[in-house]
Formats: sequence, structure tokens, C-alpha cells
Amino acid sequence: MIRRILTRLGTSVLVLWGAVTVSFTALHLTPGNVVDVLIGSSVVTPEVRARIIADYGLDEPLVVQYATYLGRVLRGDLGRSYQLHEPVVSAIGAQLGPSLQLAGVSLLVAVVVSTTLAVLTARRRPWIRGLSSGLELVGVSIPTFWTAILLLTIFSFQLGWFPAVGADGPAALVLPVIAVALPITTLLTQMMREGLELVLEQPFVLTARTRGMSDLGVRLRHALRHVLVPTVTLIGWLVGLTVGAMVAVEQIFSRPGVGQLTLTAVGGKDLPIVMGVVLLTAVLYVVVNVVVDLLYLLIDPRLRGAA
Amino acid sequence: MISVRRFRAPLAALLLLPLLAACGGTSAPEQAPAGPPAKGGSLVFGVNTEPANLDPHASPQDVTGLFTRPVLDSLVALDDKGDVHPWLASSWEISDDQLTYTFKLRTGVKFSDGTPFDAAAVKTNLDHIVDPATKSQLAAAAFGPYEKSTVVDPQTIEVTFKEAYSPFLAALATAYFGIQSPRQLALGPEALAKKVVGTGPFVIDAYVPHQGITYRRNPDYDWAPPIAKHSGPAHLERLEFKVIVEDAVRLGALTSGQIDAIASVPPVNVKQVEADPKLTVLRKQAPGGNYNYYPNNEKGVFADQKVRQAFRDGIDFATVVEKLYFGAFDPASSAISPATAGYDKTTETQWTYDPEGAARLLDEAGWSARDAEGYRTKDGRRLTVKWPFLKALAREQRGTLAEQVQAEAKKAGFDVQFVDVTPADFTPKALAGDYDLIDFSWQRADGDALRNLFAISNIPRPDFFGQNLARWHDPETDGWLTGALRTTDPAERAALYAKVQQKANTNATIVPVYVFTYLLGASKHVQDVTFEPQAFPTFYDAWVSKA
Amino acid sequence: MKVFAVAFLALVTLAALAPSLLTGGVTPDAADALAALQGPSADHPLGTDANGRDVLTRIVYGAAPSLLAGLGATALAVVVGTALGLLAALGGRVVDEIVIRLVEIVLSLPTLLLALLVITVTGPGTVNVIFAIALYTAPGYARLVRAQTMVIRNAGFVEAAVSLGLGRGRIITRHVLPNAFEPLAVLATIEVGTALVAAASLSYLGLGPQPPAPEWGAMLSAGRDYFSVAWWIAVFPGVAITLTVLSVTVVGRRLQRRIV
Repeated sequence: MIRRILTRLGTSVLVLWGAVTVSFTALHLTPGNVVDVLIGSSVVTPEVRARIIADYGLDEPLVVQYATYLGRVLRGDLGRSYQLHEPVVSAIGAQLGPSLQLAGVSLLVAVVVSTTLAVLTARRRPWIRGLSSGLELVGVSIPTFWTAILLLTIFSFQLGWFPAVGADGPAALVLPVIAVALPITTLLTQMMREGLELVLEQPFVLTARTRGMSDLGVRLRHALRHVLVPTVTLIGWLVGLTVGAMVAVEQIFSRPGVGQLTLTAVGGKDLPIVMGVVLLTAVLYVVVNVVVDLLYLLIDPRLRGAA
Repeated sequence: MISVRRFRAPLAALLLLPLLAACGGTSAPEQAPAGPPAKGGSLVFGVNTEPANLDPHASPQDVTGLFTRPVLDSLVALDDKGDVHPWLASSWEISDDQLTYTFKLRTGVKFSDGTPFDAAAVKTNLDHIVDPATKSQLAAAAFGPYEKSTVVDPQTIEVTFKEAYSPFLAALATAYFGIQSPRQLALGPEALAKKVVGTGPFVIDAYVPHQGITYRRNPDYDWAPPIAKHSGPAHLERLEFKVIVEDAVRLGALTSGQIDAIASVPPVNVKQVEADPKLTVLRKQAPGGNYNYYPNNEKGVFADQKVRQAFRDGIDFATVVEKLYFGAFDPASSAISPATAGYDKTTETQWTYDPEGAARLLDEAGWSARDAEGYRTKDGRRLTVKWPFLKALAREQRGTLAEQVQAEAKKAGFDVQFVDVTPADFTPKALAGDYDLIDFSWQRADGDALRNLFAISNIPRPDFFGQNLARWHDPETDGWLTGALRTTDPAERAALYAKVQQKANTNATIVPVYVFTYLLGASKHVQDVTFEPQAFPTFYDAWVSKA
Repeated sequence: MKVFAVAFLALVTLAALAPSLLTGGVTPDAADALAALQGPSADHPLGTDANGRDVLTRIVYGAAPSLLAGLGATALAVVVGTALGLLAALGGRVVDEIVIRLVEIVLSLPTLLLALLVITVTGPGTVNVIFAIALYTAPGYARLVRAQTMVIRNAGFVEAAVSLGLGRGRIITRHVLPNAFEPLAVLATIEVGTALVAAASLSYLGLGPQPPAPEWGAMLSAGRDYFSVAWWIAVFPGVAITLTVLSVTVVGRRLQRRIV
């Protein structure tokens, strides 16, 4: 158990270090003088230029620059966006709330819906499975931005059921959540159903049934637990997918958020912001994985004994 | 293809709905009996773009004016005819040599942070605009040969110029010369980029980039300009600008009643909005430079006047503009728009679509051969036009228009190639003259906009980003433009500006494309939204009738 | 399902290789302002766009650029991933450890964000999109090849080959690669779908091929401004993307089931 935690910690540090290195490399691979790259298309005074050179140690050898950069990130200083006239941390911080809300709700919806669907459709009549897997196939094949546009046109512009823009209140969340959650739900449903079908063929399921347990009871009490472990492993990956889907969805629904911020930054070559977002998501990944490890202990008691 | 058909029927049925809905209400839009303005209420306005910097003294973006006008008053106010009226200045005098302007300031005016408004505050503002540290790109350029301002007494200020500069008052009336609280100015550029404080009818409540800005009413406001429809505090309790970049989404938010008004109704949807009995479209032609194409007169294929003229006359711009914008924008004939003081109406008949003439001009210029793809060539070289197109900042389906022009130009034998650029790599290209064609529009409520576009001193160079992107180097034109600065007589100025516009057309210096018209979509319960001369909407007089 | 998928893919391939065969001489950039925004009709089965260009023609001509990004990215990722995977499996413990960590780091970053970072650095364009997508899909292949190679390395026939004194290069090309090929091909087929969607998303966000190139994602993006009056401009390219991805996925899964 301790070994497991140590490995996980080591990996987490490595991932963070990797993300810092990736963004440092990006900064130096971008054509042009590093100062110009950092300020992008804005205009700054010579004093600001001098400060950037000092802050990033740009007059030092590359190794020292790297160490300086690493040190800054470790202190939580992600630099400044010269185009937004504010520190990267506060720029991202201001947009973080709506994004976390969208991502969190989408993931929750995806997990709940796919669990329900998987439990209900595993080893059912062929036509139910066929219908479900057909829908799933379409679900993964539709680009998120297209789903978003279709949802918007039908449910907001035509039927007027939900607001088209913004992030005010739960109603504004419905359509973006569907758009983000759809591909994740379909992927999850597939995996969980395949997992469930394997488990339902296990001997202990038969034992449970012979003891008179109801079908739904078997599925929920026994089979589901076995399927949850591999599903939980995927959550880190799913978070990545969610963040990616959110970029387009935030733009289409004109929702404030990190996705919009990133997209504007990419268009305006505002590298400090893009680097900051990459680092932030690496942190998110690490945090999610630590949480996942804790969840393991809850789901699979065998691991508790392994200490 | 079978699969496609299977998909098409249900989707088509679903998506035909908007068309049917649009055809439903065809009754003529009638103005609801408005009655007296209602106090209170709030108005939400969807805007298509936002400034990166809220300080109008510093920001290079004209949309900063829209965002700060509710908060900032100017010393003078400009009406639609180009006449100047008192505002924060109650009167002014211009010296005979036109070098000194003496303003008497209004008394009893307070900034919303409590700071009193006086001559010292005005001086701080004017000096802030020209301070090199402000890095002003719009305001300072419109300030011309400003020398200094002197506080005579707390209610009197004297502004001195190095040379006569007749467009000064018109510039002073814009939000880019809006008077800010000295206390806020002292906080420095970072703070100003996020919040401005003025004497205006509204006060900024919150500003969240990519989301929008909210204002609340300034209850003490009592110094509206005489051209406003009322005096005292604004009618609206609360005003909100929501940033909605996507055209379709902004339009959808309006048509489904989620917001009260939107900026920039997509031209393709104007008829649809007008057919909706709950909605209306307010139009206002913008003054200043039209949306024009600027060929590089200095080098490359367009250095030859015949080639420029062949490009202008060989493409049916009027029809293309008419069809692509569904009549929402007028085709342009001059460098500046009909809404600009000094516009010359005779330009409207100065040139016209003439494909045969264009072909003859190209033959004369030596581009007589054609290659396998149908493009004209000269000495084995293709007639290629490199056009750095700033897609990221393109508005009003300018990309669609550009693609149409590309296709039309092909018929005339031009190979128009887009060079995709980001704002960051556009600037060096523009400064170095590394292009054959560039497109932009430039709003300014004065004929002096022509000086921005055509003065030799405004040709971009490595240390200066001027608007003369046609790189027209013509001393005679420069003489007329300088002459117009020396006189405040409108007729004299108009005569000089007419010469400039005609010569620009004779010389085919630029290709006028369309007159930008602000298309504001609004719910019919929104009343009295007005436009300032720069064709941005203002909300001081606006109110919302209870439905 | 499978028949439709294969037929549709054949059609798309034909469109990509010889678009003029399907459109009968009409070119995708034949703009005609007078024919703008016409709905589906006999002349224009899928309508015309804002420039009066035939949408069907543009979709047909768009097959090549649209597939190029997805296929190119997958090909690049397979090559790079295979090289990395082999290196990890055969290069000794230290190299293995480094590659594994590298793979894990890249996989930990959200896919689209990594692509956006690459494009911020390189600027928009087809080649850069291919590069960006390949960068984040390559680790998946590296992982697969490494695992396969490990299994094969310990299999009897490789040990036999080693004891026979065969060189390392020969063992890789003769024994390891052919055995790792099948699962790799299956993964690649399924991943082409993902890469296609990713490329279309980047085009949609304005970071892919530039107009007037008839790329599907870019067409959809241009069509969204006209959605309320001319739904066909955005809907049909969307249908084209979805059907292509769907077909690729169906075929990929079929292959997978046959092998596993």
C-alpha cells in the first residue's frame, strides 16, 4: 500500500515536471525573441521588457532559465499575460468557476447515465443491445461542436426551452452539459456494458441467483462493483476528454470559462495563458488520480488488506 | 450516398423550422405607442466584440468607445450634422490663429468616485493621452499637433497646438477623449485596463473579460449634453453588455427573447428580424473610412495604376456587395462614407463596373497572356495578388466577401492568394509593405479621416503604424489635406476633401467596397437607443417599456 | 451496417482521389453571388453556400483535405509510436523507464489543449494540425507496440531466433513487427476516427486549412453564420464527417472482433 502511494506520488511529480518542461520547450521553440513571444501582439514599455528579462532570467544560460522557470512555477507564479494586463493565475482564476461547474456536472451526468444504461442493457434481448450500441456508435462519431450547434438551434432558438448563452443558473447549464457529456457517456456505457457482461457470466453470479437474489439486485450489488474498478481508472482520461470538448462548447454557447480564454489566447498568440492552462490541467490530472486512488480503497476492499 | 438521403429527410424537417418561423410574421413593423419614458428597469445588450483594454485613451480598438461611453463624458458633444455642442465644457473660444482653444468648464460636476471635476482634472486627462507611457494608438493619433494644456483657473483650461488643427473639437467629442477621474488615472495602466471611472450617467459595476460588463445608474448625473433627449439621471437602472461572439448565437438570443438588443445583426438575417413583430432593426451609417481594399501603390503588381484600376473595374463590387449582404450595406464609391462631413457625392458616378475596359487596361499594362488555369501572365509571371487576411478579426462575413472577390478576380485574370495571418504577424507585414492588398474599415466622424488614409506621414514604417496602407505618396493630396487642417470653415474643408476623394478614385488608389452600417437588432420594448456620431449606440436616453 | 460502412468509405475514397469523376466538371470554388444560399434542388442537390458554390461539389472536393489531416496524423503517430515502443521494449531498463514516463506525461495532458499549445507555437495550417494530433496520439501506439513486443520477445520463436544468432534488426523486422502489426492496424483504424474528429474540431475553431479550401470542418464553421436561413451549408458537411467517422469505426470494430 505504501509502495503504491509512493509510486503514485512519484508519478504525479513527474507529470507536473513534464508539463512544466513541455511549456518551457514551447516557449523556446516559438519563432522569435522570447520576450516578444511572451508579450505577443501587445505593446509594452522598455521597463516592462527589462522586467520580463530579469523575471525569466533571459540573459542567463538556458539551464539557468529553465531552473528559474521551474522555481517560478513551484512558487505558483505562472507569469503575466501582457495582452490581458493581468497575472495568468488571476486570469485563469476568474474563468475557472464556470468551467469547473460544466466539467463536474458533465462528468457526473455521464457516469450516472452510462451506469444506468449499462446495468439496464447488459445481456438483454439482442434488439435492446443493438439499439443501445447503435446509438453509442453515433454518439462517438458526432463531433461535439456539431452536437452543440444542433442542440442550440432546436432547444434554444426554436423551442426556447433553454437560454442560448451565458452561465446564469442551472437552465443555462443543460445544453452545454448534454453536448459535453454525450461522447463520454457513450464511451463509458460501452465499456461498462462489456465489463458487466463478462462479470455476469462468472460463477458467483449464478450462486447469488440460486440463493434467490433478484436480477436487478445481482446487477447492482455484485456485478456493478466489479465493473466500477476499471471505470474509475479511466476517470483521469475522461477528465482530459471533458476539458477538450469544453473548448468548442464554451465558444458555441458563449459561456465564460477556461476554454474561451484558451481559444482567445491561441488566436492572439498569448503564450503565457496557454502555458498556464496546460500546467493547470496537469495539476487537475494529478489531483483526480490521487482521488481515484482513494476511491479504489472504497470500492475494492482487497486493496486495503494489501498494506 | 444512400445513407446521406436517409439522414436528410428528418434533419431537413427539423431545420426548416427557422425558415417557416421567419415567414410567419410579414406584417409591417409598427412603432408601438411609446408614451412617456419609464424609469428603472434593465437592458441587456449582446455585443459581438470586446476591448482587451478598457482605457479609451490607450486602447487601439474602437469598441473601447462603446464600452466606456456610458461611464465617460466628453468636453463637447457632436451631433449628426457635425455641429459641436457644450457638454462638460459650457463654452469655448478659438484664437484667430487657431492655435489656442479656451474652454470654460461646467460647475458642480463630480466624478462617481467623489473627485471634483475641474481644469486640473482635464489637464491630467489630456496629458495622459499624449504621455508616451500610455502608448496611445487611437486617441493620440486624433490629437494631432497638440502642444500643451494650461490651467487658467479651476473652471478654465487652455489647450495649445503647434499648428492649426481643425478636427480637434470633433475628436474631443469622442469617447477616446472621455474625461476620467484623476484618482483612477493615477492607479496606472493595469488598473485602467480593467476599470474606468468618469462623470457619466452610468458607473461600472463589474467587468469580466469574455463575459461582459455591467453598469448601474449614476443617481447624481445632471450634466447631459443639450443634444440628449432628456436631462438628469439615466432612465435605466441597470445596463449590461454581454459578449456573444458567435453571430448565430447572438441572433438566437435576441429572437428567443433572452436579451433586449444585439449589436451587428448578421446582414443575412436582417429581413428575418424585421419580419418578427416583436423585433426591429436600427440602422446607422458609420462615418470615416468605408470598408475598402487597399492595394499596395508602392511596389508589386499594384504599383501600376492600370492594374489597380483593372482590379477595381473588372470586378462587379456593387453586385457582389448587394447580393452577399442582401442590401443591408450600400456599395461604396469613395474612400469615406456618405455619413462623413466632407463626403463628395460626385464620386458616386466617377467609376463603374467595366470588364472590357479592365481587360484592355491589363493588356496595355503587359499582362496580356493567359496561363493554363486562365490567369493572366507577363513575361511568364502570373498576375498574383498576395492578401494577408486577418481572419481572426474579420467581421460581417468579410471572409465570405473576400472569397467571392477572389472568384470574381479569377475571371478577370487575377490570382488572389490569401496569406493567413494572426494579429501578431500581421503587424510586421503591414509595416514593411509586404503585401499586395489589405482590407480594413476605419471609423472617424470627420473628413480628416482622409488624412489618416492618405497622408504621406501616415504610410506605415517600422516605427509607426499609420493607416495609409495603400502607401499612396502624393504631395498634391498632402497639400489639400494640410490645407483642410488650417480652416474651420466647413465649405472650404469640404471642397478640399472632395478633391482628395476624386483624385483617389482617378488614380485608383484604393478600391471602395461597402459602407459599414451599424445594424442594431432590438426588441420593440426597447425605446430611444440613440447613436453617437461614430455610429456606436448610446444608452443614456434608452428605456424599456413594460410589455 | 457493415455493408453501408464499406460502401460509404469507398465513395469517400473515390471522392478524395478523383473528385471530378463525381461532380462532372463543376469546381468547388466556382462562386456565383447570384446563386447564393439556394436550398437543395435538382441543380444543387445539397444547396449552395453564401458564395453560391455548390455544397455537394465542395463536400466531394473536401474529402481529400478532410481525410488528409486524420490519416496523416494517424500515419505519423503510428510511425513515431512504433519507434518509441520498440525502443522501450528492446532498449534496456533505463530507456524503457524514460519512454514509459514520457508516454504517461503526454497522455496526462488533455488532448485538445496539447494541440492548441502546438498551434499557438506553430500557427494554423494543415501540416501543423497533423503534427499536433500526431503528438498526442503517438503515445497510445508506443504503449501498444511495447506491450506486444514484450510478449513476442519472450515467445519461443524469438528466443530460438536469438539462439540461432540472428541480428537484432533482423529479429525486429522479421519477427517482432509482423506479429505486432495486426493489433496496431486495428487500433490505428479505430483511432483514425478520433483523429478525423480532432482535425475537424481544430478546423472548426479556425486553426486548420484556410479558405477557400473546402475542408469539412471549415465549411461547417463558415456555415454556422447562416444557420438560421441556410441550414444545409453547415448540416451536410457535419453529416459527411459523422458518416465517415461512423464508417471507419464500424469497420475498425469489425476487424477488432475478428482478431481478438
